Amino acid sequence: MTSRNTLSYAYYPGCSLHASAGEYDLSTRELFRKLGIGLTEVPDWFCCGATPAHNVDELLSLSLCAKNMELAEKVGGDLAVACAACFSRLKTTQHVLSENDVKRKQVEKAIDAPVPMKGNVKHLLDILARDLGLDRLKQAVTKPLAGLKVACYYGCLLTRPTDVPNLDCVEAPTIMEDVLKAVGAETVAWSHRLECCGANFTLSRPGVVIQLSHAILDSAKEAGADCIMVACPLCHGNLDIRQEEIEGVYDTRYAMPVFYITQLVGLATGLGADKLGLDALIVNPMPLLKEKQLL
Amino acid sequence: MKKKKMLLSTETMDVDFVRKVEALSGTSVRRCFQCGKCSAGCPMATFMEHPPNRVVRLLQLGQWQRILAGRSIWYCASCETCSTRCPNKVHLASIMDALRKLSWDAEGPSKESYVQLANRLFLQNIRTYGRQYEMRLAAVFNVKSGQFLKDLMLGPKLITKGKLKMFHQKNKNMTEIEKIFGRIEEMRRNGEAL
Repeated sequence: MTSRNTLSYAYYPGCSLHASAGEYDLSTRELFRKLGIGLTEVPDWFCCGATPAHNVDELLSLSLCAKNMELAEKVGGDLAVACAACFSRLKTTQHVLSENDVKRKQVEKAIDAPVPMKGNVKHLLDILARDLGLDRLKQAVTKPLAGLKVACYYGCLLTRPTDVPNLDCVEAPTIMEDVLKAVGAETVAWSHRLECCGANFTLSRPGVVIQLSHAILDSAKEAGADCIMVACPLCHGNLDIRQEEIEGVYDTRYAMPVFYITQLVGLATGLGADKLGLDALIVNPMPLLKEKQLL
Repeated sequence: MKKKKMLLSTETMDVDFVRKVEALSGTSVRRCFQCGKCSAGCPMATFMEHPPNRVVRLLQLGQWQRILAGRSIWYCASCETCSTRCPNKVHLASIMDALRKLSWDAEGPSKESYVQLANRLFLQNIRTYGRQYEMRLAAVFNVKSGQFLKDLMLGPKLITKGKLKMFHQKNKNMTEIEKIFGRIEEMRRNGEAL
């Protein structure tokens, strides 16, 4: 257990946060520094294998995640994960290996080390809402996001799989809304917050992504949202980077900024646009933030 | 749609394969009572020729060749909506993983090559760099799939926003990752792992 004032974690950023989702990494580090939560990057971490690995080779997927947990043990403490896909894979691995001795032995042979089971795998949301706590988060707010209507988008992997002890209720989670309300924003009720965006089909079958992400953007717009908030680099890629393309295909206009959770919470704690990587977003969020007097 | 008559005999019902799927996925195929909840919630069902509940039904009937010959399993997004909502605890997402693995190992006759290519390149990147190298992943995919101009419009946008890294840092510990791949291959050769 960590004491009240010394929250500190081993940090697993994952591949996207070191490339296309650099702003998620930057805003996470800045926000956590501001909140006084320690993050130490896991030295020499490997790719968790994401969906492609477990799709065709479960043992490889489990072994890659177990290797990362072994590396994280050098830092110590619980593992903080930002990407929803990495989170789901690491969490699942920990669960499967604690339940299934046969698989654990195979994985231990593959990584040639005992699988560490001590530290918990935690998503950033979990750390903000439960470890730090909503009350302390509220105290850190200097610029409440008053008047900003946000569609909280969970996507698939933040709350699934269902049989693993998880972040929140699998069919009716509220953790994103809880965090956002704590920093003063409004959240909208909308239909597509748990629907899949097409995820990694963005490489192999972009047509699929365009169809599914269009439904999500449509639903958020219909609910009157000013913007969408995500916790996954792939969801972000599909909804933000491909938004103009989707507008073209369906002959419509959304201009709907898509923020990472740490960017919105960071904004409420008084961090500036440069510290949150707001200029890296493809759909320009500045007009909205200026209109709401948040910048 | 023209309906093909399905003939069932001991020859067409290959149950050994189904047992392998059950062993790999750790879930029972026989528990499914065809309520259709999985397909109702599946975001990818419209892209599949056999929606999720029919995949399970075909397995129950030992007609797995029909599944592997199609693209359904490769059009599963692994979003786990099916497993979440199944009233009888059939972990369909794991069944899909098992089917893909068996098809992958047999270099199955699937129609869906793009998804398989993307998976293969993704895993190769891990073995070569330890981490994903997104720019290389996209570039090699376009070359190998013959879609040289795919997403060309996204490139400049991503580069100006600093989202595509032109250079990639290899993980320093590459011998470690190679050993993991090697050990898994060896375990499979020795029959110690599926």
